[in-house]
Amino acid sequence: MTAEGGVQYSKIAEIKGPLVVVDDVDSAAFDELVEIETNEGERRLGKVLEVGNGKAVVQVFEGTSGLSIAGTNAKFVGKVMEMPVSKEVLGRVFDGLGRPKDGLPDPIADKFVDINGEPMNPEQREYPKDFIQTGVSVIDGLMTLIRGQKLPIFSGSGMSHNLLAAQIARQASVVGKQDDFAVVFVAIGVQYSEAEYFRRSLEESGALKRSVLFLNTADDPAIERIITPRVALTVAEYLAFDLGMHVLVIMTDMTNYAEALREISAAREEVPGRKGYPGYLYTDLSTIYERAGKLKGRKGSVTQIPILSMPSDDITHPIPDLTGYITEGQIVVGRDLFRQGVYPPINILSSLSRLMKDGIGEGSTRADHSEVSNQVYDAYSRAQEVRALAGIVGKAGLTEIDLKYMEVGDIFEKEFLTQATDENRTIEETLDLMWKIVSKLPKNEITKIKDKYVDQYYKGE
Amino acid sequence: MSQRHPLASNSALEITIDKILKNTEKDILSNIKSALDDSHHNLDDSIRKLEHEYDKVISNGKKEADKIEKQIVGSADIETRNKQLLLLEDAVDKVFSKALDQISNVDRSGDYSNLIKSLLKESTQILGTSEITVFTNAKDKDVVQSALSQFSGAELSSDTIDCLGGIIAKSKDGTMKFDNTLDARIERLKPLIRKEIASTFGVGS
Repeated sequence: MTAEGGVQYSKIAEIKGPLVVVDDVDSAAFDELVEIETNEGERRLGKVLEVGNGKAVVQVFEGTSGLSIAGTNAKFVGKVMEMPVSKEVLGRVFDGLGRPKDGLPDPIADKFVDINGEPMNPEQREYPKDFIQTGVSVIDGLMTLIRGQKLPIFSGSGMSHNLLAAQIARQASVVGKQDDFAVVFVAIGVQYSEAEYFRRSLEESGALKRSVLFLNTADDPAIERIITPRVALTVAEYLAFDLGMHVLVIMTDMTNYAEALREISAAREEVPGRKGYPGYLYTDLSTIYERAGKLKGRKGSVTQIPILSMPSDDITHPIPDLTGYITEGQIVVGRDLFRQGVYPPINILSSLSRLMKDGIGEGSTRADHSEVSNQVYDAYSRAQEVRALAGIVGKAGLTEIDLKYMEVGDIFEKEFLTQATDENRTIEETLDLMWKIVSKLPKNEITKIKDKYVDQYYKGE
Repeated sequence: MSQRHPLASNSALEITIDKILKNTEKDILSNIKSALDDSHHNLDDSIRKLEHEYDKVISNGKKEADKIEKQIVGSADIETRNKQLLLLEDAVDKVFSKALDQISNVDRSGDYSNLIKSLLKESTQILGTSEITVFTNAKDKDVVQSALSQFSGAELSSDTIDCLGGIIAKSKDGTMKFDNTLDARIERLKPLIRKEIASTFGVGS
């Protein structure tokens, strides 16, 4: 940071959607921070999207409403947008641009970091293989979250993904280690009531002191949403790689982020891709998701749980589709289970954690974890088939073993999947519940678990 | 000779009754024994269940206690930290306003004229032209006027601005402006100055 400021230009050529085109600019840089000053002296932030031919296209984060060509000034600050970071950010609430929203002063900065981050050297990346306990049985048991992983939650509008997100934020921990753990919670375009729920939920559970909240509400300018995840990830990276903490970043709702990106793309008159999203949606999303990981020789890690609501519950929509290419698995929230009143309504058959296999087992969770999890998946899958069959031939047409599987499916949903929003289950409790389900099957149906574990944990007749 | 029916004999009847009684007694004793065994069994089961329930209640209680402890400690920590932050900010503000007072009353001779020259030089370089109009406050007018002799094409505006010191340079066509007042420079460096002040109070690195 220097005392030298930037030049202020007063020749505005055009205001187009969220963009301001400034004329006669000769020394602007790509991504440079711009302060837009309105007629009334109000200041708004923006960044340079394009430069050349004496023009600079500036994207105004706080929107262009109320701006006029005459009287508007654009000051090119001479640096990219930076976030002040220090340990003091823990327990704080910020808006979508990283400004305090809790009535307290700016945190005393340890340093100022470019919000675009630095790409992780692939050679320096360490393969993620340590378990994070979320306290939610279905996640810990069947789609285990691993430190450094990016595991999105695919949901739909109106479903309970925000409840789940807040529960994970309150309960997540690193088991059996004294390592510091922090949660960076990023709300992108959420309703005011939801933002308040997240804040109160963390405050009342005592989890706020290890959390940082970035709240961009639905009434904040859409363009601000482009910055929110980047500001939050900058803080997460600092906590992880400078302070050695294990940081879980929960971002909800990434669909609102993509909508903002589409808005800018339309204003720039770019050729639209699928459903009007820009052709570079994949690349842009990767600049966010790829900021998760672990580095060799560094103690901390950044784990991401991006949440996105799929328009019309369509998993082939460009946002979940492209997200799925970048991330390491997905947790799918199911409409049918939600309608049945099951919480969390996670459809395990469409969900998967690709890194789970490396983070569970002896020394991490328990030696039988992998096998009992496979057996539960298998049993629930069979239960779903039997339910479909019962819908056609009726229960009377089912065999005794079919009925057993049906019972297993019911127990799975009622006792394992269903969990109170304030119920924090340990991994041992989760595994015991999984054995309770498996034990409802006759021994000869247990084909995926070694005999020694069956002898040790099976509780059936 | 007529034969007697066995039941007609008292002793046979007694034998039979004895037999029945013995059998009944045996049955009753066996039933009592099995009931006792069942009771023991049930009792053992109940004890096991009770112990299990007891462990569950204790474990749930412990979890709830941990949760409440976390809530209380967490809220107290946050409250304390917030109060500390507000106190610190108050102290930083006081230091700032005292420093600004001193800067506004600084002696305008000697080094100060060099400072104005370097501010003018920096401004013309950044704007890319020396065809500029310079604005300053009433106190600095003379210093700026004398420094401007080294910048051909630059002229001092008759309008004064409200600032601690320094200058604002505006291109003569009015399209570019560079704020090089002391106020603007301090504002740009404020986060670093706050950090310095805070560290003297033992906060931050």
